[in-house]
Amino acid sequence: MSIRPSFRFAGVLVSLVVVAALWLFWRSPSPPTSALDHVAPAHGGQLTAGIRADPKSFNSLVAFDEPSVIVSSLLQARLARINRATFELEPWLAETWEMTPDGRKYTLHLRRGITWSDGVPLTSADVLFTFRAVTDKRVESPLADSLVVAGKPIDVSAPDDRTVVLTFPAPSGPGIRLLDTLPILPKHKLEGALADGTFRTSWLTTTAPSDIVGAGPFVLKSYVTGQRVVLSRNERYWRKSADGMNLPFIDELILEIVPEQTAGMVRLESGNLDLLQSELRPDDVASALKAEARGKLKVIELGVGTDADAFWFCLKPEARTKDRRFAFVQRREFRQALSHAVDREEFAQIVFLDAAVPIWGPVTPGNKTWFSPNVRRYPPDLDKARALLRDIGLEDRNGNGIVEAADGTEARFTVVTQKGIASYERGTALLKERAAMIGVQLDVAPLEAGVMIQKMMASDYEAIYMRPLMTDLDPAGNMDMWLSSGGAHFWNLSQATPATEWEKQIDDIMRTQAATVDRMRREELFNQVQQIFADNLPVLYFAAPRLYYAHSTRVTGVMPSVLRPPVLWNADSLGVTAPPRAN
Amino acid sequence: MVGFLARRLFYCAVLVVMTASTALLLTRVAPGDMTTSLRAFPTTREINEERARFALDRPFAVQWGNWAASAIRFDFGESSRYRRPVGPLVLQAAGNTGVLAIGALLVATVAGVGLGIVTGSQSGLTSGLIRTASIGAVSLPSLLTSLALLFVAARTGWFPTGSMTSADATNAVNHWADVARHLPVPVLALALPVAAAFERLQSAALAEQLRQPFVLAAAARGVSPRRLVLRHAWPVSVKAITGVYGIAAGSLLSGSFAVEIVTAWPGLGRLTLEALQARDIYLVAGCAAVGAAVLSAGMLLGDVLLALSDPRTSDVR
Repeated sequence: MSIRPSFRFAGVLVSLVVVAALWLFWRSPSPPTSALDHVAPAHGGQLTAGIRADPKSFNSLVAFDEPSVIVSSLLQARLARINRATFELEPWLAETWEMTPDGRKYTLHLRRGITWSDGVPLTSADVLFTFRAVTDKRVESPLADSLVVAGKPIDVSAPDDRTVVLTFPAPSGPGIRLLDTLPILPKHKLEGALADGTFRTSWLTTTAPSDIVGAGPFVLKSYVTGQRVVLSRNERYWRKSADGMNLPFIDELILEIVPEQTAGMVRLESGNLDLLQSELRPDDVASALKAEARGKLKVIELGVGTDADAFWFCLKPEARTKDRRFAFVQRREFRQALSHAVDREEFAQIVFLDAAVPIWGPVTPGNKTWFSPNVRRYPPDLDKARALLRDIGLEDRNGNGIVEAADGTEARFTVVTQKGIASYERGTALLKERAAMIGVQLDVAPLEAGVMIQKMMASDYEAIYMRPLMTDLDPAGNMDMWLSSGGAHFWNLSQATPATEWEKQIDDIMRTQAATVDRMRREELFNQVQQIFADNLPVLYFAAPRLYYAHSTRVTGVMPSVLRPPVLWNADSLGVTAPPRAN
Repeated sequence: MVGFLARRLFYCAVLVVMTASTALLLTRVAPGDMTTSLRAFPTTREINEERARFALDRPFAVQWGNWAASAIRFDFGESSRYRRPVGPLVLQAAGNTGVLAIGALLVATVAGVGLGIVTGSQSGLTSGLIRTASIGAVSLPSLLTSLALLFVAARTGWFPTGSMTSADATNAVNHWADVARHLPVPVLALALPVAAAFERLQSAALAEQLRQPFVLAAAARGVSPRRLVLRHAWPVSVKAITGVYGIAAGSLLSGSFAVEIVTAWPGLGRLTLEALQARDIYLVAGCAAVGAAVLSAGMLLGDVLLALSDPRTSDVR
């Protein structure tokens, strides 16, 4: 007996829906292409940018995660700003300044008539307050260390409402470039918090938007956890465009929180986002260029990045006391051999999909001021690499393909890297392959970012492949990386005394150049440092990526930068030409 | 029934406490802590201050004791990532996931059961297609499903491509209409594998019931095939679905990790993942507690439904 009720109607209906959906899907029109390069920005409109995570705080002296820094740069203003496109220091809240010939005293003059977003005048008292807050121990601001020169804090005084005098305890190479990192905060809003010790927990993300006051181009309109930060134009913003129009151009800037980068790309291509927080991943460039050809995006080459992937061994003697491999790892010939084993052109092609340039040191051609092309280079040469290993007693004595020292210690290492990053995976795979050609075995262990960083900070690793970020383009802003005593001297952290003669040399030269005011002399000195670094190779660099950025075709006024954020750093000059696609 | 519910509620409470405490312990002993996300190369002073702030400088027993004492007063500590109390953060995220999970469960139930009835009672081309689609949907990981749906939404513009609301939704009515507009992509991504599993279970259970003597007897009495399926066989077969409702709630929670990240839905899955990545110890514990509570509630719901459809089960338990 058959029991078969008829559901034919349902089947037909499902089929019809599927066919109709497919038809509509493929005929969906592309947004019109427009050439907007020459369109002058106009007032009004809404711009939507994607950021990867929620900001931790709106207090820019205590939060240093990337979203917080971006939001801070939109809400607050500095005395002077480094132009991310030219890398030059430009006047910001301070309209002009004078420096004494010895480079120790700067007198800054604030702009006339500037006010906070709530209408209260911005004066030198606010600058004094900000310096007091940042150096207050209870605030625990990471910025405090950057305002110390030769071990002493910068003295700040204010002869009148518009004048601020900064007296450095010693001559300083970067001088007032360090002001770029310091947002000026309103005394009238935060003085009480500093007095009662609650400054650190002031202006958290739960604070009412109306309580957050700034001198930046935007004010906070709302923040919805996990979804977005909405900023509206600061009607009292002081800056004007070259043709005298009030900035910012746009009425509203929405920072949508999009944690997944692929999803961010999809939303950018669909027109739901106008900008992304950061540059394109190498793997996304090809699809972005296709979207550009379809008129959906505009792709721009930012230039060569200022940070590059690096490979290094742990060179901390205390951490490797029982490790017999340390005897040859600490020899520069061993690291030079590895450098000769890698073909940097091939590295750029495979790891960065041809969007990179070969490099031989930590300063890339992207850092136009400080890059030295005249450092020692290591052309790919396997014979030379093997000879260098033989010179330090490393040979394949048992025929297993791995070189050993005379006591049988094999040149075999575990390389930790961050998992989930395609360029790291390709980089370590290629490095492993090339190292194997000269008898050095590298076993790759991808780890979660936090675990890898903790291992690095504890010097609990054999070798690492990752991209250490420079905090400043000016070498004097990265003293913690260059000095052997520095907390970011990552191959051998925080040494009590320099472990090697060449590190001592770098220490001496870096201290001298940081205290030198003459720019040409500083460049000469830093070239010497780069040369010593390339000779000794504590860290191996292979290629610096060319960075690409994609934005919606309706955005105008883009001034791209290789520094992050590539476009939002100049948000007050961005405009839009058409309404966004409804979300 | 009251005794049954009381027992189940007690087990739920034990599960929540155990899960949260274990999460606290595992996050504490796992390599890395919240100081690794402070900034690149923080100073020793910054690291020590941060660790002291979150009691990582004390023995685990002391830390757990203090945390448990506060948790009893519904103070679950502060999140290192968000610099805010954990309780409101977790509750808000759980509410958002709740909206998503209820939507997904409804879609999965209606689609899964409906299609299961079709495939369980006939064997034509339609049934074959549905069966094939179900097997595909069960095998697809949520990450891929959500990315594919996001791509379709982006390409067609039929649905929003992310978030839970739009920036311009102002009042409460607008807000909920806006949330409803944002639901299709994450709900479908979450519901598809569950619906497929329901379809397979319902199909097999119904086919088995249709072979039972009581159905054959009813058919012999002249009851129409449609009535035989819907009024006689299906009510008996539905036990197969109610029995796995609790497990389905659990799978929705685990599936929400990928779906919420891709679709930028501010829910518990995304918050948990972010907390784990940032080693945000108290937030991990809070998320685990709420996750366990949701799972317990799902299991309880499944047990209650099973008990209602088959009273013998509540006696046995």
